[in-house]
Amino acid sequence: MNTFMIKRLVLKDWYFQRWPIAAALAGGALSLACIAAGTNGSFYAGTVLLITVMITAGVSLAVTTVVGERTEHTLPFVMSLPISPIDYTAAKLVANVSIFLLPWTALTLGTLTLLAMGAGGMIPLATLTLVEMFASYCVILMVAIVTESMGWTISVMAALNLFLQAFLYYVTRMPGVARTMRGEVAVWDRGTVTLLIVEIAVSFASLGLAFVLQSRKRDFL
Amino acid sequence: MTDLAVYLEGVSKEYPHFTLADINVALPTGSIMGFIGANGAGKSTTIRILMGLVRQDRGTVQVLGKSMPEQQADAKRDIGFASEDMRLYKRATVQWHLEFMRSIDPKWDQSYAELLVKRFDLRPQQKIKGLSHGQRVKAALLLQLARRPRLLVLDEPTTGLDPVARQEVLGELMEILADDQRTIFFSSQNTLDVEQISDRITFIDRGRVIDTGDKESFLDRWRRVRLEVPPGVVLPALPGVVGTAGSGRLAIVTMSRFEPAITAAYHDAGATVNAVDNMTLEEIFVANVMSRREGKVA
Repeated sequence: MNTFMIKRLVLKDWYFQRWPIAAALAGGALSLACIAAGTNGSFYAGTVLLITVMITAGVSLAVTTVVGERTEHTLPFVMSLPISPIDYTAAKLVANVSIFLLPWTALTLGTLTLLAMGAGGMIPLATLTLVEMFASYCVILMVAIVTESMGWTISVMAALNLFLQAFLYYVTRMPGVARTMRGEVAVWDRGTVTLLIVEIAVSFASLGLAFVLQSRKRDFL
Repeated sequence: MTDLAVYLEGVSKEYPHFTLADINVALPTGSIMGFIGANGAGKSTTIRILMGLVRQDRGTVQVLGKSMPEQQADAKRDIGFASEDMRLYKRATVQWHLEFMRSIDPKWDQSYAELLVKRFDLRPQQKIKGLSHGQRVKAALLLQLARRPRLLVLDEPTTGLDPVARQEVLGELMEILADDQRTIFFSSQNTLDVEQISDRITFIDRGRVIDTGDKESFLDRWRRVRLEVPPGVVLPALPGVVGTAGSGRLAIVTMSRFEPAITAAYHDAGATVNAVDNMTLEEIFVANVMSRREGKVA
């Protein structure tokens, strides 16, 4: 693989996403401030805002950097450069995951830090939810890269948003979470750890699948 | 094969509603090939195969000595590619694009890029979304030209340009050929552009190459013969006749392999040759396509 060109393409996407990243960080900071305010209402509002920021950041990223290359007809320009389709796919995966990880990591660390200061029992629930959102983002990214279709990407996003509701319903009723979430200490049992591993595995599998399916494509443009 | 910049042999690609069949093209280094075809003839598909962006079902593709699509990353170091459907990043400026290309290509010629910016009347600080169509095309072409590629592959580079912009682009392409190691392969529907700058021509229609050769031989061998045919005279069946039109005593015969002896043959048959007209490349292309579609071999 042409690592020099992959690096240049990753930097290009970072450059074009600098304002959306800043917006996601600003929205995330606001949501953390709401959570930290301490009232039930602000906690709920902050949580909803946090989830909204994560979903919006992920979808916007996949749509603009991947689907947008095709719909805006910049893909022929990129592919005129000395790269192969695999280089392009690698650049898109690295750029997207690294860009998404910046606000995701910041907001995850911020959320967990706030919870550790008085609501430690919520940490497993928050971690599972945030990692689920990262896994969902990886699935959306995989669909965007493989299909390059706005329709498919939006459809999968909508399905995963519905899935998130079901996920939250299920997780808050898991014995390991339900028993301890109102306490001050985080408790990880076998069920929550297993679910966390599954989420991480889904994330890696989605990224790997994107790479495999792209490498099998016969026509790239 | 080492002096061939582009070599396609027996290349085929099948889609549900279109088939590119048995494409053979050989382009020597230092030539300009005009690749002419109507809409949907297979020009863009051929170019995408040539660039390694579409994998052929059958056949061999070698570009600058590299097998495509496997070695496309290597080959594209020396290929400048611009296509009609190519767009630059609309939120970025011309300058950003210049710097981006400069950062990735060690062969980038900054002084040539600056010269082209002036010659193409572009403003570096202007965002792409504020450019006219002609300016966008010229900006995209500039980014490829300043890489000083050994091979320039252009898919409909002059489509949608006004006459002045078209001449600017064609003039630049002709200047490139001052260096005899540089090669241009470009597709177009505009036969006037092709006639101006190409030294080799390939016609493609309905997914098949229907004729190929150097431009001068095309222009030399195609003629339109105007005849006066008295009643009772039957014109002889001569090789290379691709069409006969006219009414009454007047007939116009289009020929793909004209030679002086042909006028004598018509004279011997009793017809009078009123004129032998040269044909433009557009007339040759249309006559060639129509005769092939009617099953006559040009």
